[in-house]
Amino acid sequence: MTAVRLVGAAVQLVGGLLLAPLLPGLVQHLKARLQGRRGPSPLQPYRELRRLWGKSTVDVEGTSAVYRLAPAVAAAAVLAAVLVVPPTAAVAGWGVGHDVLAVAGLLALARFAVAAAAWDTANGFALMGASRDLMIAVFVEATLVLALAVAALSAGSTDLTSIIAATAGIRPWAGPLLPLGAAAFGLVVLAETGRQPVDNPDTHLELTMIHEGPLLEYAGRDLAYLQWAAAARHWVVLVLAAGVFLPHPAQPWAQLALLPVLLAALCAGLAVAETLVAKMRILRVPRFLAAGALMAGLGITARLAGLA
Amino acid sequence: MIGTVVGAVLAGGLGAIAVGGVLSAGRRSFAAGIGVQTAGAAAVAVAGFWVLLAGLRLGKAFGPGYTFDAGVPGPPDLRWGVDGLSGLFLAALGLVACAALPFSRRYLADDGRGRASAALTALFLLVLALVLLARDPFTFLFGWEAMSLVPAAVILVNRRADATSRRTVFTYLAVTHLAGVATWVAVLLAARSGVLAGAPIATGSGLQVAIALTALFGMGTKAGVMPLHVWLPRAHPMAPAPVSALMSGVMIKVAVYGLVRVLVDWLGVLPSWIGVLVLAAGGFSALGGVTYALFQHELKRLLALHSIENIGIILLGLGACLVLRSAGAGTWAAIALAASLLHTLNHAVFKALLFLGAGAVERATGTLHLDRLGGLLRRMPWTGATFGIAAMAIAGLPPLNGFASEWVTLQALLRLAGLAGWGAGSGGGSGGVGEGVAGVLGLAALAATAGLAVACFVKVVGLVLLGPPRGRLADRDVREAPASMVAPMVLLAGACVVLGAVPGLLLRPLAALAPWPVDDAPLVGPAGVALRLPSTGSLPTLALAAVLLTVTAGLLLARGGGRRRAAPAPSWACGQVVGPELNWTGAGFTKPLRLVLESVLRPSRQVVVRAEGGVVTGVSYHGHVPALIDEQVYRPVARTSVALAARARRLQTGSLGTYVGYLIALIVVLLGLARTGVLG
Repeated sequence: MTAVRLVGAAVQLVGGLLLAPLLPGLVQHLKARLQGRRGPSPLQPYRELRRLWGKSTVDVEGTSAVYRLAPAVAAAAVLAAVLVVPPTAAVAGWGVGHDVLAVAGLLALARFAVAAAAWDTANGFALMGASRDLMIAVFVEATLVLALAVAALSAGSTDLTSIIAATAGIRPWAGPLLPLGAAAFGLVVLAETGRQPVDNPDTHLELTMIHEGPLLEYAGRDLAYLQWAAAARHWVVLVLAAGVFLPHPAQPWAQLALLPVLLAALCAGLAVAETLVAKMRILRVPRFLAAGALMAGLGITARLAGLA
Repeated sequence: MIGTVVGAVLAGGLGAIAVGGVLSAGRRSFAAGIGVQTAGAAAVAVAGFWVLLAGLRLGKAFGPGYTFDAGVPGPPDLRWGVDGLSGLFLAALGLVACAALPFSRRYLADDGRGRASAALTALFLLVLALVLLARDPFTFLFGWEAMSLVPAAVILVNRRADATSRRTVFTYLAVTHLAGVATWVAVLLAARSGVLAGAPIATGSGLQVAIALTALFGMGTKAGVMPLHVWLPRAHPMAPAPVSALMSGVMIKVAVYGLVRVLVDWLGVLPSWIGVLVLAAGGFSALGGVTYALFQHELKRLLALHSIENIGIILLGLGACLVLRSAGAGTWAAIALAASLLHTLNHAVFKALLFLGAGAVERATGTLHLDRLGGLLRRMPWTGATFGIAAMAIAGLPPLNGFASEWVTLQALLRLAGLAGWGAGSGGGSGGVGEGVAGVLGLAALAATAGLAVACFVKVVGLVLLGPPRGRLADRDVREAPASMVAPMVLLAGACVVLGAVPGLLLRPLAALAPWPVDDAPLVGPAGVALRLPSTGSLPTLALAAVLLTVTAGLLLARGGGRRRAAPAPSWACGQVVGPELNWTGAGFTKPLRLVLESVLRPSRQVVVRAEGGVVTGVSYHGHVPALIDEQVYRPVARTSVALAARARRLQTGSLGTYVGYLIALIVVLLGLARTGVLG
């Protein structure tokens, strides 16, 4: 039992740190294939990180310490979130707890840092992206907390290890609660990872950028931190999705073994979604996410009323 | 023994505030008086925390305020006392005053008005403490009314009673006194029925519901709960910054004290619909306060609206406590109460800091208009850094104190949703579907509020501290505030960090304030400084802070560790030269949210394009987000009352003959009634 706990903790840190860039790479690769292109290799994000690591950073004229702090703070916050989200039900903790609501706070910290840096550069495109990101975040947070409430109520606890244990197997999927929560969380995944139909990660047009906008002024290691943070954000929400909102086995070893499969399936799902769906008008995104919140709320209400 | 010491410290502190207040009115002893007041405030803070942490009860318990001697009321029986709940609020009062007072020494001009303000500040502190220490209805209500009047006097003294301030003070006093009637009704009913002195009261009895509803209305108005809040965003910004800090940081908290005292301490187990009502008021205040704050352009007014939001969060915790208690889940009810009180203390600290920061900014730049500030972090590093910390704390970001209390509140709301379907993990108890749905809605409201608060404070930090100086600020010589103003802000920023790192130390004493028996076994254990609650993933605040700090520091070191130096470059604007005309405004930044919330907020927008011979020579834009509750509810009511008053005035002709006529008519009517036997 201790072995699996240690391996689980190792997977959590190593996966979050090193394998995270593979996830957006895989999505890009699969998407290109689906669209009949050869596309970049799944390892492309690593090459970009290596290239950025060797380049010099840029200090935008007239900026303060906030501009220089923001990439580090954003990366630190996402790393802390990686340490909170366990890959299996039995895992040795990293000392930061496993609380699911803490994840929402840490992701908000990263968002705050990046948006504040956008103000510091006074770059119109960065601010445009940040203002849209924060508008979407309001609805993402409400939907995220409700989807997480579905998970927490299934387990009677907000401890992620108990949640993963309680949602294992097929039985929790019998009622409408978990499927509705999973649908809500799916919309959150699209928004948090900056995928279509909420955001377009491939855009090179400044006017349409959301998550990419505040990154415009950064270069070198700063940009490497921010790109790693974006990839690790994929890791956090996809591991959450795989551990809670997809059917998974109850055995910790089996959970660890199945994790790569589930993550690959989720990446494939994101690629398919990006291929099928066009980006929606930004002002329709809140309604799209509110639908998720309604689904989660409906699931909880049905369960409260004893219908499930 | 220890009680005597704490009592002496408390009495000494209050005495020092009184002496300091008198001294600060003197021309020569102004600075000394403020020093004595500060020392007194520090003593009050120490005594308050001591009472809370040691669970002391000093002085007398609550009494009805008079004794009946053979059916005839005897002399009034005025009582004093302090318990843990009073201790917490005294601690908040002392802590905020400890920062606001030294700040005011340089902030207030050393002239007649400044000295009068300093003396009135001491009086304000004393009446606030009076409410907290009162143990009979008369002292309580006297303090309650004086607490409204003193800041009105400060505003009038400070603004030379100009037209705007007279109007504001009138609105403020009218609203708080009209609603104050409900407070009187609640407290006097509680005194008459004896629940104030500890008599039991039946759940759901008419008396209990009447006391609860009148208290909620009267004290809710004083706390600034939406839709009873209209006075707050008007009055708070008018006062000088240290007094604004006391109003937002302490005065509305004393109203929360009143609510907790009545709803939790006196009234026993309330029917759960009252808890749901408190939840609804809390959710509405939280969302409404932050939404209107987003579209504000004036810094202090924005901060005042955020007070409404935070009072909403406090009420969400309090409502969860009431519902959980009526459902019989005692442990979680106590945790919800602790969440609410912890957020009260946290909000007192960071809101006072924000108001002091706004005062320092106004003193240095001469404006509070957000679109005319900017770049102050570099020119006022200390003020800027502390203001930034407070902004992150109020936005509910880890690892600061706002996040800790919002996390516990979220957990309590989740327990509420879990009551109906999930008996396990809720610490016992059972509840209905309605309560569960209320919990879910409260959860969503709090999450959305947190998201909106992040957006709002990114805007504030960006506009005030970051980017280039806007408007005429670029040419102005802006200096950092003097050390006597910076030190108080550093103190409060330190409190934000400490309360965020070790909230676990306070959580258990706060949960122990619940007057019902609490099984605190889950809370004892290896609680320590972290937040470890039953059936949560726990929030090891200190470890989280350590991880965030070390990783950030490591990444910053690695950033500078490359072979190449950072290259300076201008900001990218597609090749255009970045000039002041490309600067973003607050209205631009919040535009996506304004468009999304258009159907709720009904903003007005006016764009005028001036063209000469087909060439555009100028564009002017005017946008406005109206305060709907003011315009749709209060204005019609005020208009109707004024119209009715005008009609009633026709009776008052001023001629003696008419009044004699009224008297004769009255006598005739009375005689007629007596004749017909109606009067008996």
